Order: sequence, then C-alpha cells, then structure tokens
Amino acid sequence: MRQRLLITLRDTDGALQRLLGTAERRGFRICAVHAELVESAQSQVAITVESARDVALLARQLLRLHEVCDVCVA
Amino acid sequence: MDNAGTPGAAVRSGAQWLVSALEAEGVDTIFGYPGGAIMPVYDALVDSRLRHILVRHEQGAALAADGYARASGRIGVCMATSGPGATNLLTGIANAFMDSVPMLAITGQVSSALMGTDAFQEVDIFGMSLPVVKHSFIVRCAADVAATVHEACAIACSGRPGPVLIDLPKDVQLARAAAAPWRSREASAVHAAGAVNLDAAISLMSRSARPLLYVGGGVGIARAETALRDFVAATAVPVVCTLKGLGALDPDQPEFMGMLGMHGSPAANHAVQSCDLLIVLGARFDDRATGKLETFAPGARVLHIDADAAEIGKLRGADVALGGPLEHMLQLLAQHSPVATEDWRAHCASLRSLYANRYDAPGDDVYAPALLRDLSRAAGPGSIVACDVGQHQMWVAQHWRINACSRHLTSGGLGTMGYGLPAALGAQLACPEAHVICVSGDGSIMMNLQELATARRYGIPVKIVLLDNGCLGMVRQWQELFFEQRYSEVDLSDNPDFVALAAAFGIEAFAIERRADVSAAIDRLLAAKGPILCHVRIDPRANVWPLVPPGKSNGEMMDSAA
Ligand SMILES: Cc1ncc(C[n+]2csc(CCOP(=O)(O)OP(=O)(O)O)c2C)c(N)n1
Repeated sequence: MRQRLLITLRDTDGALQRLLGTAERRGFRICAVHAELVESAQSQVAITVESARDVALLARQLLRLHEVCDVCVA
Repeated sequence: MDNAGTPGAAVRSGAQWLVSALEAEGVDTIFGYPGGAIMPVYDALVDSRLRHILVRHEQGAALAADGYARASGRIGVCMATSGPGATNLLTGIANAFMDSVPMLAITGQVSSALMGTDAFQEVDIFGMSLPVVKHSFIVRCAADVAATVHEACAIACSGRPGPVLIDLPKDVQLARAAAAPWRSREASAVHAAGAVNLDAAISLMSRSARPLLYVGGGVGIARAETALRDFVAATAVPVVCTLKGLGALDPDQPEFMGMLGMHGSPAANHAVQSCDLLIVLGARFDDRATGKLETFAPGARVLHIDADAAEIGKLRGADVALGGPLEHMLQLLAQHSPVATEDWRAHCASLRSLYANRYDAPGDDVYAPALLRDLSRAAGPGSIVACDVGQHQMWVAQHWRINACSRHLTSGGLGTMGYGLPAALGAQLACPEAHVICVSGDGSIMMNLQELATARRYGIPVKIVLLDNGCLGMVRQWQELFFEQRYSEVDLSDNPDFVALAAAFGIEAFAIERRADVSAAIDRLLAAKGPILCHVRIDPRANVWPLVPPGKSNGEMMDSAA
C-alpha cells in the first residue's frame, strides 16, 4: 500500500540521505520524493512510500532521527 | 551546560577546541590511533590531561571505547585518522549502534578543499556510517568544534544511547577561532505514562493468571535494575531475560527463570510459551530471543514498555503500550499491580528446578560450563566478564553469575568476533579495581590479538580465558546439526601456540588440559597482578545445549543431537 509522509527537517549535513536511507532500510520502497528548503535551516519533504509494513512504525523511526522535527502521515 | 554570553572567549585551533570540549565533558580516556588527517588533534593532546590509549588497530579503539562505556555508564570515545583509520572504526561503531552504547567516534578528514576530489586517504566516512550511527556531524569551521562535541555527547547519551560520529577536516583542526556560543539542548522530553494506558496496563495485569516479565537490555541502559528488582519483590512476577537483559535481576532471585531464546534455558522458554501476559520491558522481540515469531508466547497478551517508542509494535503488536522511562513506569506499576498467583509461581519454580543446569559431565577433560561457573563464583559479584562470540559466549550467558548488566559485556546485536579483548581493556580502564575477565575462543581471539600489546604497554591486568576447541565451534555446531556434518572451513587445528604467542607480547600465560587443573588455574588467574592468559584446551566436539533450531518455535528445543 502506498502512503504519503510529510516531514519537516533541519537542514544539516546528510539530513535527506539519512531520511531516505532509513525509509529504504526499514523496508519501504520510495515511490516519490519532493524536498524543498523552506527557511534558511529547514526543509519540507514529502515522500510516498510503499510497503506491507505499517507506515506509523516508519513515522516513529523517522522521528528518532535527530534532524527530523516533525512527521505526519498524510 | 553552555558558554552563551561568555565575553572575550579565547581563540584556539579547532584541534584545541576539540580537546578542551572533551575535557569539559568529563571525558578522561580516549582510545585511538594517529595518522595524517588527525595530526593536529594529536598535537593538541600533548598539552591535555586526557589519557590517550594507543591501541594497535582502530577496531580495537572502537571496541575498547564500547567496553569502557558499558562498564562505566559514561560515554566511550575513540579516534582515528581519515581513510583506512576511519573504516577500521566502522565495525566498532556498528557494534555500539546495535547494542545502544553511548560512544563518540572522532575521525580526521582531508582538508575541506580536497573533500570530494578522491584525495589521498579520503573516504566518505560520514556517508558510510549513516546506517550505524545515532547521529553524525561534519564540522565546517573551527568555531563550531566545541559546540559540536557538546551536542554529540548529549545525543550519544540521551534517550536510547548510541554512537555519534564527528568527521573533522584537517583545515578545521588547524584554523583558529573563538568558539561559537553553544547551549546544550533540552534533554528529550520525558513522556509520563498516559493515565489511560496506565489504567489499561494495570487492568491487563489484574486479569492475568500467568504474567511473565520479558526483560531486555533497555533495563540496564536505563539503569532501572533497582526499580525492576523492587517491582519483582512487590509482585513476584517471574522473569526471563534476553542476552543483554542478563544481570537486571539477581540470578538467585526465585523469580529469575534464566535467558530465553535460541540458547536459553528450557525453563525460560517454556514459561514464555505458557504465559498469558508478557510484560515486555526494554526488549525488542529479537529473532534470537523469539525463535519463530508467529509461535512466540502464543497465548499471551502483550504489555510493551520501552523508552524508545519506535520499538513498540515493530515485530509484535502490543495490547497496551507504555512509552517512557522504564524506572518511572515500573515504579508506577509496582504501586498498583497484583501479586502473581500462587499456582503460576509454583509452576515456574518447578520448571526452574526441573531444568536447573547440570555440571556432572563425564570425563576428565575441562568442561567449559563448570569452569565458567567456578571462575565467576571465585571472581565474585563485582567482577566484569567480557566475552567474544561463539559457543563460549553462550556458555558465559548460561553459566556466569551475572548480577548487573554493566558487568556482562557481550556483543549482542552485531555478534562481533574480536569484541572480547578490547572491550575487557576498556572495562578495566573504566573500573580499575574490578576483576575483568575476558572469555574468548580460538577463532575470536585472533581477530584482535594485537591488543595484547596494549594490555602489556599499559599494564592493564585483564584475565584472559581462551577456550580452545581447535575450530570455529559455533559454526561447526551448526554444520553438524543443520548441514549434515558437511564441515566447511571451520578447522583451526593448526592454531599457533597461544602461550608462546602471549609470551612474545610479554604477557604471562599458561595452559591447562585437565579438569583437575581448573581450580589451581582459577587461583592463579585471580592472583595475577598484571595481564594474564590461560589457554584451556576443550573438546572440539562440545556443543552448546539446549538449542532452538533456526526457524523453529522456542517450544521445540533440542537437548542434544541424539
Ligand atoms: C567478525 C565475525 N566474523 C564471523 C562471524 C561468524 N561466527 C560466529 S561464531 C563463529 C565461530 C567463533 O569461533 P570461536 O571464537 O573459536 O568460538 P567458539 O564458537 O569455538 O566458542 C563465527 C565464525 C562473526 N560472528 N563475527
């Protein structure tokens, strides 16, 4: 099942790499990504993922990342 | 901790800021190995009060920092140069990540202008380590070095701990600047158990006739052992532990059923299979603990308590979840939880006595389980055991009297052969008064044997018990049981003479082969003032029992090949 996540990210070294890598390693196929620097130090990222696993679990795993400020399942 | 508003702050090089920030963090020991891209930091160390331990391989540095951290509860720090120095640290960083150990790994990097040009000894250690760090930084200017160190230490130690990497380009180490203001962030918010969930948890417990605590490494990490012991004293709920949970409860406590899982005690596994409520405390349903997940604790409802919300529901859904600090949760629950029923306690007690370990193996060759039991008794409750990976690691888990999580150093998540010796060195430096015993195998010891030179150089009095079965025992056991005895690349019968080898490093060493020699060997080990190695020849055919075959349910334990 495909699901969309909206993530607010502090724009630090490797932030996007870490985010996408976590999603993939946790068993979520990344179907779409849109990332935009919205303030000098923050990015807004939308990803669409596909997996048999529960997306709420991925949201909690992403929230553990130090640069992730907020995750919401759209 | 902060320096915001400090007027007229000093100007120092990035390397000096690194060293002074580590000192300000209370770090006293660093394990490392120098090289081109980290030379300014090594230069700054000359004027520092930090104790630097020069290991003989960077993997040894990371694993020693891990042992130091686990034994002391303080952050372990390791350091290496760029390129091969950094990649050599990686296994140790991954080891700390898998077992949630607070660690700071500092790597030199080529100068900023050369980054991305395939310069000499340039690797993207930041990128390579992303999946195995809690967080990582590349420091771009000298003014940010101190702030980064403080933030890194805070991240490594807070919440669920883990390794943090700081990659420090050489020009940043050399550049001079005043430190940018920094202020440590708020510690991650403590989640109080929601009243609703707490009520639900208590109601689940009151409706249970056969509750069981499944305790993982999270209890030791949270230093919640006392709260757990109080909870068990109040409720008499029986307890099973994971490999990393061992020590959370005193092994003599009547409620302690032993380790669950692949090489767990039958008493623990049977209790899990027949409980009706599993109270999961700082554990994560690891496959080594659960066996076939679908048949694990089949009749149980699950109350999952964990500081890391991302662990809840990852592999098995929870009927009730409590996210937050374990100590607080246990204290809240202990006030309201009912005492476990007499019938269930009696059932668990009978399982425990029915499956008590036996040490009456026939023969007069050394029986490793008995040796380990006797050595742990003689070494006493304050001793620390660090083990390698393989059969001997499981024998330690089964037979060592582990009474605190921080005194059992084992590579649980990554299963890193070569962990034992450097971890023991780190632990001994953290706890100079304790007996620190490294239990290793003839395969594992060779993975970081060079650290005997470190033991010798600093006179670190670790006691090494080398259980030599002339093979890669755990792999041999699996080939015997699950690959039709088709032995493939497990023979180590051409091992070097370990006593002579240790002697070449300047380490006192002796060998035993007979059961009758064990007691004198233990006395000699414990009396030694410096590092010492006891080479113990054991039966190459010895297996670890019991065993849950891969893919099977924990209820289907094998007791021997017969
Ligand atoms: C670095 C590393 N390589 C390979 C393995 C796979 N492995 C697990 S146990 C084992 C055998 C260990 O042999 P030894 O240290 O002699 O211990 P024994 O099982 O004989 O007690 C191997 C090869 C591992 N865990 N770590």
